[in-house]
Amino acid sequence: MSLPAIKVDSVSVRFRPYVDRRPTLRRSLATFRHKETQLVEALKGVSFEVAKGEAFGIVGQNGAGKSTLLRCIARTLRPDEGRIVVRGRMSTLLQLGVGFNAELSGSRNIYLGGLVAGLTKKQVDEKYDDIVEYSELGDAIYRPMKTYSSGMFSRLAFAVAMHLDPEVLLLDEVLAVGDEGFREKSMATMHELLGRSGSIVFVSHAVRQLAEFCDRAAWLDRGELVAVGDAEDVVEQYRAEVRKRRQEMRAQGIG
Amino acid sequence: MTTTTSPVYYARRFNEYMSELWRRRDFIWFLARGNIKARNASTFLGLVWWVLNPLLLGLVYFFVFGLIFPTQRDIAYLLSGMFVFHYSSQSLTGGASSILQNSKLLVNIRFPRLILPIAFLLESTFGFLASLIVFYLIVIPFSDVLPGPEIALLLVALPLQILFNVGLAAATARLAVPFRDINNLIPYLNRIWLYMSPIIWPLSLVEGLSEPLHSLLRLNPMFPIIAVYRTALLGYPLEQADVVAMVAWCLAIGIIGIAMFIKYEGKMVRYL
Repeated sequence: MSLPAIKVDSVSVRFRPYVDRRPTLRRSLATFRHKETQLVEALKGVSFEVAKGEAFGIVGQNGAGKSTLLRCIARTLRPDEGRIVVRGRMSTLLQLGVGFNAELSGSRNIYLGGLVAGLTKKQVDEKYDDIVEYSELGDAIYRPMKTYSSGMFSRLAFAVAMHLDPEVLLLDEVLAVGDEGFREKSMATMHELLGRSGSIVFVSHAVRQLAEFCDRAAWLDRGELVAVGDAEDVVEQYRAEVRKRRQEMRAQGIG
Repeated sequence: MTTTTSPVYYARRFNEYMSELWRRRDFIWFLARGNIKARNASTFLGLVWWVLNPLLLGLVYFFVFGLIFPTQRDIAYLLSGMFVFHYSSQSLTGGASSILQNSKLLVNIRFPRLILPIAFLLESTFGFLASLIVFYLIVIPFSDVLPGPEIALLLVALPLQILFNVGLAAATARLAVPFRDINNLIPYLNRIWLYMSPIIWPLSLVEGLSEPLHSLLRLNPMFPIIAVYRTALLGYPLEQADVVAMVAWCLAIGIIGIAMFIKYEGKMVRYL
């Protein structure tokens, strides 16, 4: 068996909300005097692997640490403990359209998006025509992006992300974009990526779609890995637990 | 290609970081140009503001310090100092805001963070160059100043000041991103810095001061920087001591600021 595309090895991330997130002078002086600070453990010793050619989903309720985990894989956040190995060219457009400037035309934003992801201008030049064609924006490509509908916006963003030729693609809350026709096309492109033994990691609350698309999935709950395995099974366990919690809340008269 | 996170974060070595910055130079250029374009597109006068901004700034200061409280009647002396000062003082606020305004980018994508303050500086450098043109447009009709051969000195002074400003922007970003309080202090620091620089008062004022105070005031890096620019722009005699002091200040602030920033940037995302 070949080496995994992503290996997450007992990764822990801790935030100190009052000191670590926005330590104003007063707060850090305060904690300088009283050493005890409340730690929030966003991830607690999480380990799993993603194989080449695999679509991997991450589910969990709000605040479970899903985005934190993706940021660690994308290497914008350094874990406090553990290590992560990623093999392959990574497209780290976690959210579609990051780096775009809405005041500028779609055409210029293709360059911004490509350059931000690490391409050179020459490389973007070579891909430019393909991206425009893929996005199906036609002449709208010369209009400022603030005039775009949200569907048009995500079509262009997705087109840029896919033309970075990623071997590992990380997507946060982006499963299907655009209208029905474009959605099919984007799905086909992602399957193509998997076929070339690329890997995709999704974070999504659209769990039914996620179960359909992904081979395997992980369930995070308050920073802990509850289950990893076949996507349908994990999603089923997760949904059962969510139902149970909701019933308990209702029983206590909260829900 | 294998990439590993932790224990080592970004660049293992300074020159590795610098070569990555150089590899990403297209990105810096597009970021700066994109910001300029976006600003032009969203205002009615667009490009005209490049000339109008320094013109209005110059007129305001001439009105106040040349006419109302006439501490400085020499308009060429006043405006040369003012524009050079303004270019550096912008960097104090610009460094931190270039990081804070792009927090979404920082959280999502990994790149050498120094790109953001550098792109900001590139942008403000265009503004500074425009202000130099405005400078001559105002000064030539009102005084006997004409650009002379000394203007070639800009080729040395400008890169040095750019290094100085990158250092300032990087250092303030390093400090003001985790400690937002500093952002509130910067406008006051800027004002003190302005009043302590030889802009709205003549150089003869410091010369008359007694010794500890005189040397203390001269510790201000703006002293040699403005002096060298005044040689370039107004043909003032060049003092060797000023050149030495400017080179020393710019190298020191540039290197210290950049080193502070790079050392810290792995943690930056946690403070956004």
